[in-house]
Amino acid sequence: MKTDIIISIENVTKKFKDGDGEFTALSNINLEFSKGEFAGFVGPSGSGKTTLLNIIGSLDSPTEGNALVMGKNIAGLSHKESALLRNKHIGFIFQVYNLLPVYTVFENVEFALLLQNYSASERKKRVMEALEWVGLQNMPDKKPSKLSGGEGQRVAIARAMVKRPEILIADEPTANLDAKNAHIILQMMKKLNEELDTTFLFSTHDEKVMEYLDRIVHLEDGKVVRDEVKNKVAAS
Amino acid sequence: MIKFLLKGILRDKSRSFLPIIIVTIGVSLTVMLSGYIRGAMGDITDQNARFETGHVKVVTQAYHENMDQLPIDLALLGVDSLQQVLTEKYPDVQWVKRTRFGGLIDVPDKNGETKGQGPAAGMSLQLLDDKSGEVDRLNISTSLVKGNLPAKRGETLIGDDFANNLKIEVGDEVTYVGSTMNGSMTFKNFVVSGTIRFGVAAMDRGTIILDIADVQEMLDLQDGTSEMLGYLNDGVYQDEKALELKADFNKDLNTDDEFAPMMLTLKEQNNLASYLDYVDLYSAFFVGLFVMAMSLVLWNTGLLGGLRRYQEFGIRLALGEAKNQIYKTLIFEAILIGSIGSFIGTAIGLGITFYMQYTGIDISEMLNNSTMLMPTILRSKFTPDLLYIGFIPGLFAMVIGNALSGIGIYKRETAVLFKELEV
Repeated sequence: MKTDIIISIENVTKKFKDGDGEFTALSNINLEFSKGEFAGFVGPSGSGKTTLLNIIGSLDSPTEGNALVMGKNIAGLSHKESALLRNKHIGFIFQVYNLLPVYTVFENVEFALLLQNYSASERKKRVMEALEWVGLQNMPDKKPSKLSGGEGQRVAIARAMVKRPEILIADEPTANLDAKNAHIILQMMKKLNEELDTTFLFSTHDEKVMEYLDRIVHLEDGKVVRDEVKNKVAAS
Repeated sequence: MIKFLLKGILRDKSRSFLPIIIVTIGVSLTVMLSGYIRGAMGDITDQNARFETGHVKVVTQAYHENMDQLPIDLALLGVDSLQQVLTEKYPDVQWVKRTRFGGLIDVPDKNGETKGQGPAAGMSLQLLDDKSGEVDRLNISTSLVKGNLPAKRGETLIGDDFANNLKIEVGDEVTYVGSTMNGSMTFKNFVVSGTIRFGVAAMDRGTIILDIADVQEMLDLQDGTSEMLGYLNDGVYQDEKALELKADFNKDLNTDDEFAPMMLTLKEQNNLASYLDYVDLYSAFFVGLFVMAMSLVLWNTGLLGGLRRYQEFGIRLALGEAKNQIYKTLIFEAILIGSIGSFIGTAIGLGITFYMQYTGIDISEMLNNSTMLMPTILRSKFTPDLLYIGFIPGLFAMVIGNALSGIGIYKRETAVLFKELEV
């Protein structure tokens, strides 16, 4: 277990308006994640997995409590600051790969770097390196429509990793993949986690994913019911 | 980044080609119909001015009171000197003599017996006077169907349909039968030098055109004419200018003398006052209505175009692009697409407008039974506002549509916008 805390969730509660009343999606969550962790949130639908990932990814903010990500309190960030946090430190992988269909594989990956001020040659170097990580260095000019599901998700991983973020958030990344491709993707992510020391946070129902996770946080009704680190329970 | 986005726009036909086509069609329709409305409305005024009312008209007071009957017995007299006075006093107006009259045309056969007869609507003008500009003003040269313009006195032009009905050929001699200004009968032979079709239903029915000198002699109208028409030198009717002329001319009018000349403006004749107000009001109304309708269409196109892209915005937010940056690029794209479509649409619209202005669409067959003095060729009219009017729906509405759809980027929580990613 690594010790540099990069995500600290303190008494976080998230409520949504539900008609005239409120729906509590997260209730008094306390969690910490260190640099380089390979962890996931597991639980039934509506347990709060995606809401918690959204808060960590600075896509949403808590109703109560503090969520500190890379030392920044998510609740106090402006749109611009949260965009900057995502731009510099957080990568996302989605259930559907969400590649921009009019751009090539190379351009889809490059897009993440355009938001940072890299020169064209530096961008090219980094994009090709990222494509090499996911084994797609031979198809930079292919359009997303010509890719298989597994290849599409690998491009999405390259796009998320090309800026070398400290945190990578993956929301059900294997849900649309067959078992073989799911294992390939997970192995790839595990390898990147080890080589680049990136913290991976998953939201999943998939047992295949759970096999790879070093830490599994079980959520139910917006609460942490079990925090499992490898073969021992860390907190509950 | 801009280069990257442009690449995307060019490759994605639903973001570039299709909206440009829609904007182009919308803008060209706006420009074309705006030009047509102005042309149709203005054309009728112009036709009336050229054929009947002038920009101003001098007649006797008595003639004015009975103008619908074209009473030649109430005509102006001493018109040569009147024309000279008017020309000296109002040098920015061209003055011409016109007399309209009715009668019968008799067509003899080779034995001199009547072959056919028909009622004639006669118009006399300064046909043989090159300086009068009447031939050009009435488009007589271009309206000739057969033969030539009268080259000397004793020659006449006759309506082509009228000539066909009476089986009159160029070179035939016809006899005018009518009454003089004193009420006695008059007969005069003329040689048909050509046939004519103005494209104006009321002018093409039984028309016979003669030189004013022939008619003065024929109708005992020595040094007389029923009307003296004035045309502003720039050829365009200006109500304020016409009112100034009228006020100046009529200031010494002796109302007790029913034969004293008085001046009328175009607006005071043929109920054109209400028509011109109607033209101004309704052309503005129709143009405004059409621009608004087209704006709604293109605004909606912009709105839908923006809403359709929330998935892309979600991806870009995830990659760390700021909301205001996404909004700016959305507006930039809308300006680019709107400008391209508006330029092309305006060019097409203007092309059609110019074609309609100079060539037009002939609807004469539909107006065979019409008695109105209205054009049988539909024409548009170019006005300077056509250069920019299409940009209202094409550019502004498009940008506003995109801008409104883009507000969703701010109004939605980022995570909710992100949900748009879920298919």
